Amino acid sequence: MKNLLPERAKWIKIRMGLLCGIMALGLGGFVTSAYRVQVEDNAEWRTTAENQRQRRLHIEPKRGTIYDRNGTQLAVSVEVPSVSVDAVEMIRGVEKKEAQDAVLKDAAVRVAAALHLDATEVHGKLAQKRRFLWLKRRVSGDEAQAIRDLGDPKKTPVPVRGLAIEGEGKRYYPSRELAGTVLGFVAPDGFGKDGLELAMDEELRGKVEEVKGLRDRNGRLIFSEGTTDESALAGHNVHLSIDEGIQHVVERELDAAGRTYETKGASLVVMDPNTGEILAMAASPGYNPNDYGEFEADSRRDRAVTDRFEPGSVMKVFTVAAALAAGTLKPTDQIFCENGTYQLANVTIHDTHNNGWLNPTQVLAKSSNIGALKIALALGEPALYSAFRRFGFGEPTGLPLPGEAAGVLRPKGRPWFEVETANASFGQGISVTTVQLAVAMSAIANGGRLLEPVLVRKVTDARGNVVRENAPRVRREVVPAHVAKTVAEMLTAVAEDGGTGVEAALTGYRVAGKTATAQKVDGKTGKYSEDKYTASFVGFVPADRPRLVIAVVFDEPMIGRYGGDLAGPVFRRVAQSSLRYLGVMPSAQNVKLSKVKEDADAHAAGALGDAGAPVAAKPKDTLAAPPTPGPVGPPLPANVKVPELIGLPAKEAVRAVGAAGLVPEIEGTGKLVKQNPSPGSQVPKGSSIRLVFEPSS
Amino acid sequence: MRLAPLRFATGGRGLAARARDHFDWVLFLTGSILAVIGVINLYSATSVSRAALSEVYIQQVYWLVLGGILGAVVAAVDYRHFERFGYVLYGVGIITLLLVFVLGKDIRGSSRWISIGAFGFQPSEFMKLFLVIALAKYLHDDPKSEGRTIKDLVVPSVIAGVPMTLILLQPDLGTALILGLIFVSICLLTRIEPRTLIGIVVSAAVAFPLVWSYVLKDYQKKRITDFLNPEANILGSGWHAHHARIAIGNGQWTGQGFMKGTQNQYLFLPDQHSDFPFAVFAEDWGFLGCLVLVGVYGFLVLWSLRIAQSAKDRFGAVLAVGVGALLFWHAFFNLGMVVGILPVVGVTLPLFSAGGSSVVTVMLGLGLLMNVSMRRY
Repeated sequence: MKNLLPERAKWIKIRMGLLCGIMALGLGGFVTSAYRVQVEDNAEWRTTAENQRQRRLHIEPKRGTIYDRNGTQLAVSVEVPSVSVDAVEMIRGVEKKEAQDAVLKDAAVRVAAALHLDATEVHGKLAQKRRFLWLKRRVSGDEAQAIRDLGDPKKTPVPVRGLAIEGEGKRYYPSRELAGTVLGFVAPDGFGKDGLELAMDEELRGKVEEVKGLRDRNGRLIFSEGTTDESALAGHNVHLSIDEGIQHVVERELDAAGRTYETKGASLVVMDPNTGEILAMAASPGYNPNDYGEFEADSRRDRAVTDRFEPGSVMKVFTVAAALAAGTLKPTDQIFCENGTYQLANVTIHDTHNNGWLNPTQVLAKSSNIGALKIALALGEPALYSAFRRFGFGEPTGLPLPGEAAGVLRPKGRPWFEVETANASFGQGISVTTVQLAVAMSAIANGGRLLEPVLVRKVTDARGNVVRENAPRVRREVVPAHVAKTVAEMLTAVAEDGGTGVEAALTGYRVAGKTATAQKVDGKTGKYSEDKYTASFVGFVPADRPRLVIAVVFDEPMIGRYGGDLAGPVFRRVAQSSLRYLGVMPSAQNVKLSKVKEDADAHAAGALGDAGAPVAAKPKDTLAAPPTPGPVGPPLPANVKVPELIGLPAKEAVRAVGAAGLVPEIEGTGKLVKQNPSPGSQVPKGSSIRLVFEPSS
Repeated sequence: MRLAPLRFATGGRGLAARARDHFDWVLFLTGSILAVIGVINLYSATSVSRAALSEVYIQQVYWLVLGGILGAVVAAVDYRHFERFGYVLYGVGIITLLLVFVLGKDIRGSSRWISIGAFGFQPSEFMKLFLVIALAKYLHDDPKSEGRTIKDLVVPSVIAGVPMTLILLQPDLGTALILGLIFVSICLLTRIEPRTLIGIVVSAAVAFPLVWSYVLKDYQKKRITDFLNPEANILGSGWHAHHARIAIGNGQWTGQGFMKGTQNQYLFLPDQHSDFPFAVFAEDWGFLGCLVLVGVYGFLVLWSLRIAQSAKDRFGAVLAVGVGALLFWHAFFNLGMVVGILPVVGVTLPLFSAGGSSVVTVMLGLGLLMNVSMRRY
């Protein structure tokens, strides 16, 4: 103010100064305080800020995908929305306790309606006033939309705050039952619970520790500078050696056979004897990991690795190989087989046929127990035991699968007595797994090298970089190459006329293998049961340049018992489809089959050939049937009439096909809508009938 | 004192000429700088918010334009006309405050708003200016040179007391406090008998516990206790201040950069556009940015005191001091509550906080300052 008396002006100035002083004091206080927060204690506040952003880190990294060897997805994770709530945010700004309760109660009712939950339960969750709680995991699209609408001020007059929707991974198996027992399943909490999902859980799940992810108050994922790629946290991808094509064939055949023979269980392993890679591994009954809850734990077991059984005659292969390698047996030796009955100590051992003098090849082909035990006793207990160990029996093969059985060689941990050695030579009193048989047979097929079986070919991270790779690895040389070669040659006799495994023979390829029909020990009596058997066939094909080792094991078939009759045809069909799938050409000179058998196979292939496989590429049609070499050939299959099946439920249809002596090939599920050949037509016994099922809607 | 009839120009010289010669460029530029920074800061504050908030900075520009026009009108009319109608304006203010109780809209437990069509306005904001004008008129009409005794302070106390009481009843502690502080600041400039001064201080000391027990609402008390013990109730009423301080501390010396303040960008800051825009600013620009901002506010307040000193008459001087005090206490309380040296009382930061009533009030205040400054000759 101007124009004042000097005295007043002075006082005004002083009071102005005073006012300025007070204001300066205030601003000074502010600046000091800002300095303290921003400069002096800034580290502490920054830590608080970072903690705030990081503390609710609910990052579930995307679970890795499981692929087959050709890159087909066997197990994938899909993002499915889940609803969470920040109850503190929900009541923010509401001061009074009663008002807060009212807000929560109202929200609980509306949220419960949107998510189809119980209102009191939801209210109980909200009343905890936690910053983060799952309300419902894996909601449907409609539910997610309802929750979004609840929080949208445009859609509702009183929006509910603090609701968040975020994606969570749900495991999905696109091929349903395919390789289900190998893959396993994932529980809703994101942890693998069975199979590969369990064994490789850590790698598949991804690592949370590596994460520098941040979340905002709405739960959205934000990344600090530098890591903008969510794939850095994702789980690793697993690439299997399994081939979906072969696996499919295997499961179809195993399923059909399992139903026809009414087995308790069955397992089948297809392995590449040159690399040790497992191309297919199946167990029956299998299950669909998408609905794992609807299957009994029994059907989820991967029997090929978890179940041990007395192998029976297939062990004769390894007994002979061991004796040849040790020099106690020559391929030309003649062994007297005692005409079928032999007394060893106080035990009488029988053969199924009364054989006289046999060479080792015939011992295998006719599966003489007495021949095998004589070879084993000549070899001696320690050498036989160590040979079995060297073939990989008595220890897990090391596949990345949970619950692998080791099998038992010496039951009490002491050397075998003479009778036990004799029994072991033809596979009694010891136990093995299907995978062990496949691995051991691979050593015969590939020239004596025991390979480490490979199920996981490589593991890659989410960006495609290879984390590790399982190259073929030789564990040891079990027998010299020439011995393996000799045994392989001997084994071809098994599938030839006069052998026990003629059913396994296939046109155009030489088959080497061994049948086994082992009595099971009855759990009640502790003695060998009269009607419970393990029927198996383990072999490889083509015999001279093996591409596939196939081990087929049936547990307690109700219809039939012999490995040759039951497992042999399955071996044949799996081998035929797989070889064609792999593009392995048949060689004409190996065709040694009777005409009738060819017809049966032509039927089978015709039924199979629907998918467009070139059935015509069969050289045998142009060849006249070669003369049958001996009179001991299999009885000619009689023609049977195809029964009327349409409209029957799946189980009965399959049963009827089996009763007629035919082999069902099943497609789809549900009710039978189509059959081929048509009812009433005459087909050879053992032919395939294609049955197409469709779900009744 | 009799005045010429209401005219927009004085003497023979036109408004345009006066505006050209006497325009206070310093005041204009300082206000403009604050307004521009304020809008930019609001843009940063709401850049990641939901749709409802993302338009706030545009609305702020509209309000600034409207406020600027009204401020220009206020600056153009000779302030002595405001003196003439001082009590009328004051009366209008009191009536609108009373209307709040009848028409008020309840927001978070208190009614401060009157709706006119789609717009709502807060009469308590405008009341600050009306109070300044009324006090200026009273002091202008009663130009005592000797010290004022308690008797001389009764009328001004009533003038300040009535709106304060009405606003406290809304209840709006922050605005009532600002009114009181404006009143005290103006009184500081008048001469008061030493004995009276002592008496006031003593009775204030006695009154405080009574006010605490009978006048303050529970939530208001809670804010004060929270302020005294800031970390005790982080999830409840101390929540805002705590989050604001985290953001400020996260700013450090030079800040995270424009629109890069993580606490704000990740939506951890509550009320970042209304009561806590400074937290956004502090996180974006750091301590150095804060110093600059405080400097600008300090300069604006000092400039208004300078305008008061050079004012032509007592009315103009009190007007300038009053507006200066209004700006200062608003800034001080807002900044103080954000850094945690003052309780959270919901006071806006001039030209930073989003809100029509606040922006228009500040622009009108600056118009009054410009008015006094232009007519100092």
